[in-house]
Amino acid sequence: MSVNKLERLLNLTAVLLDTRRLLTAEEIRRKVEGYPPPGPAFHRAFERDKDDLRVLGIPLTVEKVPTTDPPIDGYRIDPDQYYLPDPGLQPDELAALHLASLTVRLEGLEDREALWKLGGLDPAGHLAVSPSTPSPASSEMSSGVVASLPVDPALTPLFEAITSKRSVVFTYNDQERTLDPWRLDFQRGRWYVTGFDHLRSAERNFRLDRISGAVTVTELAVETTPGRERTGPLQAWEIGSEDPTKTRLWIDGSRVESASRLLGPDAHRIDGDDGSAVFEIEVVNFDAFRTFVLGFLDRAEVLDPPEWRTAIIGWLEAVATGSVPDNGRQDGNHG
Amino acid sequence: MARSTASDRMRRVLAIVPWIVANPGRHTSEVAARFGLTEAELLNDLSVVFMVGLPPYSPDALVDVQIDDDGRVSIHLADFFSRPLRLNAAQGLALVAASDALLSVPGMDADGALARAIAKLADALGVDDANPVDVHLGNAEAEHLSVLRSAAEGGNEVEIDYYSFGRDVRTRRRIAPWRVFADSGSWYVHAWCRKAEGERIFRLDRIENLAVLEETSQGAPDGRGEQPAIFNPKAETPVITLTLDSDAAWVAETYPCERVETLDNGATRVTLAVTAMPWLERLLVRLGHHGQVDAKNSFDGADGLAATAAERILARYR
Repeated sequence: MSVNKLERLLNLTAVLLDTRRLLTAEEIRRKVEGYPPPGPAFHRAFERDKDDLRVLGIPLTVEKVPTTDPPIDGYRIDPDQYYLPDPGLQPDELAALHLASLTVRLEGLEDREALWKLGGLDPAGHLAVSPSTPSPASSEMSSGVVASLPVDPALTPLFEAITSKRSVVFTYNDQERTLDPWRLDFQRGRWYVTGFDHLRSAERNFRLDRISGAVTVTELAVETTPGRERTGPLQAWEIGSEDPTKTRLWIDGSRVESASRLLGPDAHRIDGDDGSAVFEIEVVNFDAFRTFVLGFLDRAEVLDPPEWRTAIIGWLEAVATGSVPDNGRQDGNHG
Repeated sequence: MARSTASDRMRRVLAIVPWIVANPGRHTSEVAARFGLTEAELLNDLSVVFMVGLPPYSPDALVDVQIDDDGRVSIHLADFFSRPLRLNAAQGLALVAASDALLSVPGMDADGALARAIAKLADALGVDDANPVDVHLGNAEAEHLSVLRSAAEGGNEVEIDYYSFGRDVRTRRRIAPWRVFADSGSWYVHAWCRKAEGERIFRLDRIENLAVLEETSQGAPDGRGEQPAIFNPKAETPVITLTLDSDAAWVAETYPCERVETLDNGATRVTLAVTAMPWLERLLVRLGHHGQVDAKNSFDGADGLAATAAERILARYR
């Protein structure tokens, strides 16, 4: 592509940002240098330029010019939609963002242009992150990528919906769901979205890799606001639509510390005399809980509620005999 | 470096011009470094900006780029490019997610520059919640993370008490850490293990105690900078073949499979390398009737494994 093309795109952007009224294609042709004379050649060049602006993310407004009959398309760029509001980043804050983009990689997402827009990299200051508030990890973190996060195709539309406060529609477990998305979480290697689920009229979490097909950002404005603030990472048995059940789980002394780490600070722990412990946990997904418990093999035992104890025993007896468990608990609703 | 396309250069110019407008009189070398360009590339981009403006394109309507004798650059008459273009959703997401991930690293200052930057960015993106993306890279104790990182950098050996989940045993071993990294929700240290006399990967949340040793890792091979494969079965590793119904299809996504086939009835047949029996016992009792062992295509004794494990757990309940 030629310099002339770049020059024309810059002039086109400048003219469309500067105008207060809608400009017709013909007016644009006359104002912006570098277009061919009227006719098919101009038409093709102008169509290509409009596509280029859209790819660049430039918000091009297309409306009918009010005084024309028959109506003709007019074009402008709304400065309020174009200009990035100044986030007011201090040099140390910009440097911290830069450090983050160097050390954490989102597979397939490009953040270099985003950093340009925020003012580029301060060449002198990028390693001295926040000298006033020293963070022990920062100097070591500068030595390369420490983590890479997978990027799900649903992430960008969901984030767009969160920032523009609009609902999304997607298919999950063969059901169409309408969700007011509030937050994206990355836990144990997977992405989740939390929001208000219109189908259940309640807060729900969804696993992004279980969404089938595309996520559509609707024109519907989000009216709900996030409920409780969560403190720790979400556990598999906290994602589900069953009524919350309090359960007591016994863990052998040899596994207490690792269980405690897995369950997090919110789980109530009662230490026994022999080094073992009983944990009290709230569960909304029995299947996920059973999977967690069985991971401890014979070093864990479900104490309460009795019907869950029975369900685990039923499950194990079926495994021992190579049959299908006959109680109805084993395949709960994943909604 | 590949030749820049017009749209690449356009993206760059639309970011650089507002910065120079707001920060007049900086040296071209400083501006170039800030945007990751050579000075020649910067001057080349600016040479196009000279030609940009509004009709009638008379000198007083063209962008005025001035570079003085000392190489200090200023831009005037570019009101329409006085602010950069908004971040699109993917760009905002990339920055916010990367920043939140770094902030979640144990030991990072939760109120430091990065936390303030995320809040300001969220605000500029129009999000009410100061934390629209919450990334949790994995559980690790800040002290373990920091000790292992400094040991990797300083070349010290570390003694660890390690719980091996797959084999369900605890061991004490001396390791020479190479690199600490997060992957798929856990922190790992890639190291040379003195006990195994080989390259190993340890999960930080399974390290129960650790102590830095005086010894430097002399004699241990240096694998720093090498990318570890988290799961790397040996050729002689036994295999198991399972037939999974749709409720157990997650197995194919969760574990590295040697072979995956979809059967006519919608079931999935997977072949997995078995590196440790307790791992397989866990998998089989969790799967229950959703996964059937294909004894013909598995190691000897595979079909009785689940029943034995289930009986052992049942003994606790009886």
